[in-house]
Amino acid sequence: MRHWIFSCKKISLLISESMDWKLPLYRRLGIKLHLMMCYLCRRYKKQLLFIHSILQSEKTIEEIDSASLSPEAREKIKKRLEQEKQ
Amino acid sequence: MTTGKGKKSDPITWLEKYGDTLYRFARARVRDSFTAEDLVQETLLAAYRSRKNFSGRSTLKTWLIGILRHKIVDYYRKQKHEQVEENPDDFVYGSDDMFDAREKWKVKPGAWGKDPENEYERKELMTMIHACLDEMPNKMSQAITLRELQGVSTNELCELFQTGKNNCWVILYRARMLLRRCLEINWFQGQK
Repeated sequence: MRHWIFSCKKISLLISESMDWKLPLYRRLGIKLHLMMCYLCRRYKKQLLFIHSILQSEKTIEEIDSASLSPEAREKIKKRLEQEKQ
Repeated sequence: MTTGKGKKSDPITWLEKYGDTLYRFARARVRDSFTAEDLVQETLLAAYRSRKNFSGRSTLKTWLIGILRHKIVDYYRKQKHEQVEENPDDFVYGSDDMFDAREKWKVKPGAWGKDPENEYERKELMTMIHACLDEMPNKMSQAITLRELQGVSTNELCELFQTGKNNCWVILYRARMLLRRCLEINWFQGQK
């Protein structure tokens, strides 16, 4: 089956690019048409957007990484700042 | 130092109040705790040296994070020169062999099932994402970290990598492909 003029490989690149800049109209239409016919590329797109959304939420990062400065590091930075103040 | 402003411009107070926030912010972006500690120190030093520039229009916290952002960008810029070129093909899940000669999917994207619902699953998934990033060639994981986590614009990313736009998009594309495949193999396939 022919998926209009863009191959799956090309579409996978265009979908990634569309997350970084606004593609020209004919490309966006090309993607749309291709996606209508190709469930694998639809899946791929959904998955990229999913990863994007997980990484995007700043909250995720802050919740996940509850790490704090170690007492040693804190002390070291404090000393350096004291030095600077003099 | 004037009395009213005394506490406000004391970097030790900043460290106590915002040290952890800055540290977490940095660590999520440079993915290495020692580097993150250094960045916190550099940020506080720079902030102290330019304390006159703090206009009070933003909060102290956003001002400090703004400085830290610059430090992180500098860090990547410096790294670029020290980095040895890696061959992305060394990585197990190359993107080119995902397609056949007619550019159709050879390794078909699988159905991923349900998105993580609860806090615990999300945490686990995040851990897996970081594990995947650790395995990827440096440039690829940096591209993802900067673009997706740090929210750096594509323009700025190309600048950091000192490369043209087209190449920049290709790097991001390959990086996303790798991360997607890595998660598919290590997370979603084991889930069912």
